Amino acid sequence: MNTGIIKAYILKEITELFRSKFIIMVYLLPTMIILLFGYGIRLEVTHSRTVILDYDKSKLSKDLISKFEHSKYFDTKVSNTTEDNILNEIKKGKVDVFIIIPENFEKRILKGQKTEIGVFVDSSLPMRGTIMQGYVEGEILNAAQDYIKNIPIRNLITINNRNLFNQSMRDENAIVPGLIGIILFVAPAILSALLIVKEKETGTIFNFYSSPVGKFDFLISKLSVPFFLHSINIFILFLWATYLFQVPFRGNFFIYWITSEIYILISLSIGLFISIITRTQIVALIATVIVTILPGFLYSGIIMPISSMTGSAYIEAHLFPVMYFNHIIYDSFLIGQGFSSEKNVIYFGILIFYAFALLTLGTLFMKKEMR
Amino acid sequence: MPDLEVKKVTVRYKEKIAIKDASFEANSGEIVGFIGADGSGKSSLMHAIAGVKKFEGEILFKGHIYHNPKEAERIKQHIGLMPQGIGLVLYPLLTVKEHLDFFTAIRNLKKDDEYLQYRERLLKMVGLFEFQNRQAGHLSGGMQQKLSLICTLIHKPKLLILDEPTTGVDPVSRRELWQIIDEIRKKDNIIALISTGYMQEAERMDKILLFENGQIIAKGTAEELKELVKNYVYLETECKEECFSFAKRTYSLKPLNVPHADPELEAVFFINALKKYKNIPEINVEEREIKIEIPEVVMEAIGLTKRFNNFIANDHIDMVLKRGEILGLLGANGAGKTTFIKMLLGLHPIDEGQLILLGKKIESYKDRLELKSKIGYVSQKFALYKDMTIRENLIYFANMHQIPMSKALKKIDKLADGLGFKEYMDYLPTELPLGINQRFSVAVAILHEPVILFLDEPTSGVDAIARAQLWKLLHQLKQKWGISILITTHYMSEAEYCDRVVVLKQGKKIIDDTPQNLYQKFPDAKNFEDIFIKFHEEKN
Repeated sequence: MNTGIIKAYILKEITELFRSKFIIMVYLLPTMIILLFGYGIRLEVTHSRTVILDYDKSKLSKDLISKFEHSKYFDTKVSNTTEDNILNEIKKGKVDVFIIIPENFEKRILKGQKTEIGVFVDSSLPMRGTIMQGYVEGEILNAAQDYIKNIPIRNLITINNRNLFNQSMRDENAIVPGLIGIILFVAPAILSALLIVKEKETGTIFNFYSSPVGKFDFLISKLSVPFFLHSINIFILFLWATYLFQVPFRGNFFIYWITSEIYILISLSIGLFISIITRTQIVALIATVIVTILPGFLYSGIIMPISSMTGSAYIEAHLFPVMYFNHIIYDSFLIGQGFSSEKNVIYFGILIFYAFALLTLGTLFMKKEMR
Repeated sequence: MPDLEVKKVTVRYKEKIAIKDASFEANSGEIVGFIGADGSGKSSLMHAIAGVKKFEGEILFKGHIYHNPKEAERIKQHIGLMPQGIGLVLYPLLTVKEHLDFFTAIRNLKKDDEYLQYRERLLKMVGLFEFQNRQAGHLSGGMQQKLSLICTLIHKPKLLILDEPTTGVDPVSRRELWQIIDEIRKKDNIIALISTGYMQEAERMDKILLFENGQIIAKGTAEELKELVKNYVYLETECKEECFSFAKRTYSLKPLNVPHADPELEAVFFINALKKYKNIPEINVEEREIKIEIPEVVMEAIGLTKRFNNFIANDHIDMVLKRGEILGLLGANGAGKTTFIKMLLGLHPIDEGQLILLGKKIESYKDRLELKSKIGYVSQKFALYKDMTIRENLIYFANMHQIPMSKALKKIDKLADGLGFKEYMDYLPTELPLGINQRFSVAVAILHEPVILFLDEPTSGVDAIARAQLWKLLHQLKQKWGISILITTHYMSEAEYCDRVVVLKQGKKIIDDTPQNLYQKFPDAKNFEDIFIKFHEEKN
């Protein structure tokens, strides 16, 4: 290892990054992603456009309607038109939920007879449909419970539901930590790939090929620049998450930090692989984005829990390091078990293995000669 | 034992052989010249010797033997490689000083007094001492090449490998570069391997290797090489078999009844081709199918100006192109030649000035539309479709010009025959040498029988024979079709084949005259390069 060579290369890279103003991208891109997606992705459904057709017009049905009217999840409208008309509106995408309260609704309940409420939900997006259905059921049950309270003897079972780790059920808590996993997977890879491919594209790579500069010195200097620059992003992203998005942090900051650094190494080595097989910066950029962003999103566990994946998707999710990192990050933010959980320790070990294996392989594949 | 011995070196790119069984020797203090067209294997051999490319065979340098880049690692501290391309090894955003610091560091040099003196000497020698804080991207092409050269020299290499260091550089900078190389080689007793596309530069070399199609076809000093072919070179005459005439000389394998002429180095290529193929196909253009009236002046530019932000690419250029005239537009890389042609074609909007084409003032896009059928253009990179064969390309372009199919096919056959690429009709352009592609690009440009033909650097990188044939083709077009031709080139020597030359320098017109007049003005000039340098000196 020759520190003189490494220093010269690092100084050159930093000078170029500043003069080309690319340094702005290094810090703007992660922040942009966390802001755009942090605000942009919402898993809960609010303000579903709801139409209620009340054939009963009793006190009980009015109570039920007012429950819906006072919920943030529904924008309720009581209608007088025909069922067909409203079903048509759903077809046109103007109404999400349609509820029919039948005639004699109150009478039958008072008599203890069975009665049915008609509920139509637009489930063209299955997730949204299921969520809205759940809300409607909850709202009706809630109203029924209020009613039963007046009859003390029958009040035997109540549901006592508690959401653990994300008690407030905030979307930010669920999404923002996952975004850190995507950003630290994508951004360092892009920078490391570009730093090497740029020299190939312009021809300055000959300075490396034709001089006595060793392969290790070259790689150390090329990879340490994105490593250090993006290490700062670990802290910036942490601040965005905790201050702007108000995500709680219950774990150990050291674990968060050290895991992120190892994760950046993995990302760098992916960039290194891409720089070996590509020749132009634009191809390297597109390849890196495809290789990192897609698995970063799909297998992060944000959109779909990995346990509910089947077959090849399940295997793929376990092949990409995103899943292991996200597990530790979600733990650090929301749960806080740290290394007292065996799973976290194993996943941490897997990440170290990935970093080590990929860097070694990349170094072996990189050749100090023209192809 | 020689200091450098190259034994049977073969370099492959995938399945393609770039250079086969190349062998030569060199001693310290010698300049070895690699001469040949693009793709003839010069660069590949240089890369093999510099240890940056896998090869077969053996190379011996000062007692070290190596067979692959890994084994060459030990001698890399003694090698300086400057690859092909202007400013290729430079980082445009770093300053001159930062470059030297960087190259010093990666070469592990001690910054002692001796080093500092040497560094200062290098900087002063190339005239960059005052510009140490300027970014490389803001230097001219010639300056960039000089900076690349001193970056390559900073560690005092014993084996200096320069791949086309002077291509595209203006004649003044080119002469300076040669002086520097010459001085270093004498002082530090190094071996210099230098490739070039300029035949005139061969005179400065101690040993010349001539490359063609991946082989070294001849070795020796310039004098020895000329001696080899002396008996085949005659003054221009009519001949029938195994012979070829170009630029006032006839090259013939059979004895002719005319006096011998002084051979030039190109003669070696011509004779070699004659020996190999017996005949070099003659170019033959048919008469125009439709006779047309052509005005006396086909193109007139008055004060044409093009700016890119603060940079003035063309500064108030006046130019006239007459009927049946070959006008050579000369200048180094970045002098503004291509920009000017692109303005004439409407590929760049004109910022200032007036353009009159075929008697019509060009003011809008519509004015150009009618003229499109009268103008032909061959671009620098030959705008051909790589996935179509030559025939398909020609048919496609014929369709674009709305030539009826039956007529087009006949015409394509005639052109292919006359321009000598008939046997290549069903190949893809990428499978063919540059010289064939170049002639077929011209065929595409003249399919619709234009009145004006613009050619942008059609001869750079093309071998000597293809170049000679292109000039023959252009002269025939001029005689038989009365066509006017505007051709750009950075080979000053090609000025001799033009009726009139315009020389651009940094966006300004500095010369506009006939070659004959210029020779009269500078009677002691040997060639056009001298004229340019003298002109430059006179101005300063």
